Parts: sequence; C-alpha cells; structure tokens
Amino acid sequence: MHRFRIIIRLVAAAILGLLLHYVLPQHDVVQITQADTRRTDFGGFNRWFYAQADSGSVELANRDILYIFADKKKTALLGFIARDATEPMVYRNEDTGWIWPPYFKFDSSNLHAQAASQARRDVNTEGGNWAIITHYGWRIPFLSIFPNAVDIEPTDGPNPRIIPWFNIIFFGLLLFAFGMVRAMWRQFRERSVDPMLDSAGDQYDEFQAGVAEKRSGISKWFDTWRSRSK
Amino acid sequence: MGFIKLVVFGFILLSVVYLSLAVYSRSVRREKLEDAWDAEKPDSITRADFVAKGVNDYNAGLRPKLLLLVYVVPAIFVAVVVYLTNTN
Repeated sequence: MHRFRIIIRLVAAAILGLLLHYVLPQHDVVQITQADTRRTDFGGFNRWFYAQADSGSVELANRDILYIFADKKKTALLGFIARDATEPMVYRNEDTGWIWPPYFKFDSSNLHAQAASQARRDVNTEGGNWAIITHYGWRIPFLSIFPNAVDIEPTDGPNPRIIPWFNIIFFGLLLFAFGMVRAMWRQFRERSVDPMLDSAGDQYDEFQAGVAEKRSGISKWFDTWRSRSK
Repeated sequence: MGFIKLVVFGFILLSVVYLSLAVYSRSVRREKLEDAWDAEKPDSITRADFVAKGVNDYNAGLRPKLLLLVYVVPAIFVAVVVYLTNTN
C-alpha cells in the first residue's frame, strides 16, 4: 500500500511537471530566418498540440498556420557548459484565444509581421539580428508538433541576460497556494472532521459499553443455568 | 464565445476559492476567540456568547470584504496579460 501510494504520487508529480513544462513560457535566443505560412492537416493525435482557428474565424478541419523559422542558439549543455552553436528551430504562431493556455494571444498576424521584419534585419550590422522569442510548447519532429511563439523581442547579441520573472512569480504563488490549501485542509480536519469522528467514537464506545452491560446481564442469566459445583 | 466561457468558468472556479477562503478565515477567527475565552475565562460573559459576539464583529469588519479581492485580482491579471501579450 505504501509503495502504491509512492507510485501514484510520482506519476501525479510527473504529469504536473510535464504540463507545467509545456505551458509555462520559455525564452529562446534566435536569429529569425523566415516567417511563412503553411497549410496544415492535423492528425488525430497532434491536433491536441495545435490551437484553434484565429480568434473570430471559423473552425475547419485544416487551415493555414503561420510558422516562424529560426536558427536557435543552443542552450548551455546540462545547464552550465555554454555553447556557441545554433540549431534549426521552427515555431508555430497561433492565437491562443481566451481559454487554454491562458496567454490571451490574439495578435498572431502582428507577430508574423514582426518576425518577417526581424528576418530582414542584416546579420552583419551592429548587434546582428538576434532576438528573444518567448514561447510555450515542445518541438517534437516525429509528431510534427511545434512550440507556439508568443512574443519576439529584438536584442543586442547572442548572450542577453534573461530573467524569467513570470516563472519566478508563478512558482512563488504556486507554493503559497499549496501552503494555503494545506492549512485549510488541516483547519477543516481539526474543526469539522475530528470532532465528528470523536463524537462518533464516543457513541461507539457507549454502544459497546451498553452491549457489554447487556451481555453481562444475559450471561448472568446463563450462569443461573450452569452447574454451581464448578 | 471563448470569452463567455472564460467568464462563466472563471466565475465558478473563483467562487469555489472565495467560499473556501471565507469559511477558512471565519474558522480561524472562531478558534482564536475560543482560545482567548479559554485563556481568561471571564465570569461576565459565557463562552458561546463571547464567540458569537466576536464572529459578529468579524462579519461586520473589513476582512471578509477584502476576500472579494479573490474576484478582482485575477480579473486585473487577465486584463494585464491581454494587454502585454497583444502590444508589441
């Protein structure tokens, strides 16, 4: 039972971790090469990893999707070995609409224009054409799944300092909410559940005491039938 | 349509949060009042009356109204995110 509980907890933690890793914003340092449109026919599975049609448009089985093609600067290997190399990266650029994930993005066309303009910037000018793309989601080539770009911000060079304010505040609040739920649950148990269990326990004790008394009455009566010589 | 869905489900979710917080906050206050009476055991007022009066004062006070911020803060947050996401 103990092991079973540990497994359940691990699975729940893994699911929550994956969900947060998919949904929370991440920052890539990129050189945008092209902003383009491609008609996309969704499969049964990877449909889950695309948003709906643009806000205000009708939803059809397939549609044109805006994509941003870029050279992405590789992140530090294992978190601390810096690398200068770049790798190809493709972002989709879709409205998230009002519901999920809650980025409330409606400006995908504007972002497309911004990406195109960024792609036109000369690599050899001062600062080059580096930009920070804020995105959520994963790139999984086997399933043709792309992260969704949310914001593009031009930057001076390939090594900008990025502080993930949103994620810092988010995890702070998450911790706070967790502590709050725990405190509420404890208060609920202390004030509502335990007294109820106590009174139920008391009633049970009384009931048992009653049974014991009765039993002693009956066994007394039985005793009158037993031989007294014992 | 999406906006209506957000408002409806957001309202339901926040109502659950609000009600739990309201119950929790009142429960903590009641416990404090009980502890305060137990510490002094004044003859002038019974325990039940003391707690009832304290809870009434609490209900009339500012704190239960502050809990309505549970609705206000997320609404402001959504407005800010909409603004920040859609301006370049």
